[in-house]
Amino acid sequence: MSEISIMIKGLEKSYGSFQALFGVDLTVRKGEILGFLGPNGAGKTTTIRCLLDQIRPQAGEIQVLGLDPQQHPVQVQRKTGYLPGELRLEGSLEVSRLLRYLKELRGNRIDEDYLRELIERLELDTSRTIKNLSSGNKQKVGVVQALMHQPELLILDEPTSGLDPLMQQEVYQLLREAQSRGATVFFSSHILSEVETLADRVAIIRKGVIVERSSPAKLMDMSMRQVNIRFLEIVDPSPLHGIPGVSLESLAPGDQVSLQVEGSLDQLIKALAQFPVKDLSTSSHSLEEIFLKYYREGNQEGSHVR
Amino acid sequence: MFVEFKHALRSSLGQIIGWGFGLALLGLLQVPMYDSLAADGEAFAEMLELFPSEVMAFFGDLSLMATPEGYLSIEFFSYMPLILGIFAIQAGTGLLVKDEEMGTLDLIIAHPVSRLSLFVGRFLAFLCALGVILFTAWLGIVLPMEWSMMSLKGVEVARPFLSLYAEMVLFGSLGLILSTILPSRRLASMVSGLLLVASFFITGLSQLNEDLEIIAWLSPLKYYQTQEAFAGLNGEWLIGLFGAGLVFVLLAGWRFLRRDLRVAGEGGWKLKDLLPTKRQ
Repeated sequence: MSEISIMIKGLEKSYGSFQALFGVDLTVRKGEILGFLGPNGAGKTTTIRCLLDQIRPQAGEIQVLGLDPQQHPVQVQRKTGYLPGELRLEGSLEVSRLLRYLKELRGNRIDEDYLRELIERLELDTSRTIKNLSSGNKQKVGVVQALMHQPELLILDEPTSGLDPLMQQEVYQLLREAQSRGATVFFSSHILSEVETLADRVAIIRKGVIVERSSPAKLMDMSMRQVNIRFLEIVDPSPLHGIPGVSLESLAPGDQVSLQVEGSLDQLIKALAQFPVKDLSTSSHSLEEIFLKYYREGNQEGSHVR
Repeated sequence: MFVEFKHALRSSLGQIIGWGFGLALLGLLQVPMYDSLAADGEAFAEMLELFPSEVMAFFGDLSLMATPEGYLSIEFFSYMPLILGIFAIQAGTGLLVKDEEMGTLDLIIAHPVSRLSLFVGRFLAFLCALGVILFTAWLGIVLPMEWSMMSLKGVEVARPFLSLYAEMVLFGSLGLILSTILPSRRLASMVSGLLLVASFFITGLSQLNEDLEIIAWLSPLKYYQTQEAFAGLNGEWLIGLFGAGLVFVLLAGWRFLRRDLRVAGEGGWKLKDLLPTKRQ
């Protein structure tokens, strides 16, 4: 059996005169969780829609679970669970009726016990009509239908969008359990903490080209973070200047200092030992900063990085 | 395919009931109305003489209105394509594109159902829904005939309904093909509706103006059989209508199997979309 769940090679897709993908190359190994990151309009959803044969690329090769989705769409879809980024459901149906319809589309090959477990764990009220659900509850329906047939491959476009933090954790747990059963998870996200928590590997797409394939840890190292330090007395911060990855906003003496730190805080913490530190705070990582870094680099290198 | 057929049929249940019972009620009113007109034959004949010849030509021979066939043709079947055409066109244009524009097709097509199964299942559901509506309307005429002066057999009344069915299949299919080509369902409905209305008027006016006869040959409603159908249907015309519908359906299927699914919210033609866009 192939060890590769998704293989994308030289994928190009245009919408009229607008080219969305410029030769995307990506491999997702069997049993791994891959976070697919990129700013809006970078080509994440276009790539995902090509994987499911919803749209047809102009060039390139795709293999999903060893099958060409254009040649064998039904076989691919039978083994795949999909959650669209902009989930739209038939508003007039009750949740239970919708799930029954989707089950029927899957030939009723569903483990009912597992379906009940999903519904209970996500606290989904199946007696309600879709149109009366909040966006978070609609998202739960999307998660349930993607997971209910215990697919080999999960393709999830922003799976926790609209969910509260507790439910986000439940979804992470469900995805980890799916992975432990041998499933592959390919998900897009805008939330760095989600990627850090969940993904084994990440791929970043920018302007229709994959610009980075790495681990979440490396991604975190790449991110800049804001560090604010308050001292017990006025100090001269110049010794902090020159620490690798650290840039000071001002070198003037004072009882507080703000810095930008790229990568590990280890060197900075050690250097701070010589100062009477009262308080230290760091801002959370931001995917936007990483994207901006690639945009800056991309703009310096030219119009397209392949 | 059966799952999609069943789901599509269930989704159109409200429309089937509404249209079916609405048309049946119309039939139910027409039959006793004929009785009251036929009972006062002289006054009825005088009233018919008041109609100008142009009107007589447009709607057919009004002098035949005194017969059950003529009466039903003029009072029920003559304008029925325009009425039921609304359902046929809306159903045809919405068969696939409604879900596509709502964004719900994304999820359905991600399930193990081929585009062909989806297409065929939904189209069969449309044919079935249309059939049930017309059958209910037929019952609305045939059932009260038991107590009426109308001495028509059920099978005789069924013939113009069959012709109407063929017309509606044709216009539904036209809506379907246009919805897969044009950028929005709304536009496809508008164009199909315009063609239906144009066909109605061209067919009617061609009976007054010989110059229009050439164009009328291209008008689907030229082949709509009402009064003459009670005696027997022109099989060639009927097959021609179904054949044209089949061509539209095959073209729509061919197009749907090959094209990209639209993303929710797409579906409008904007001027800026027609202009060349800069590559990123």
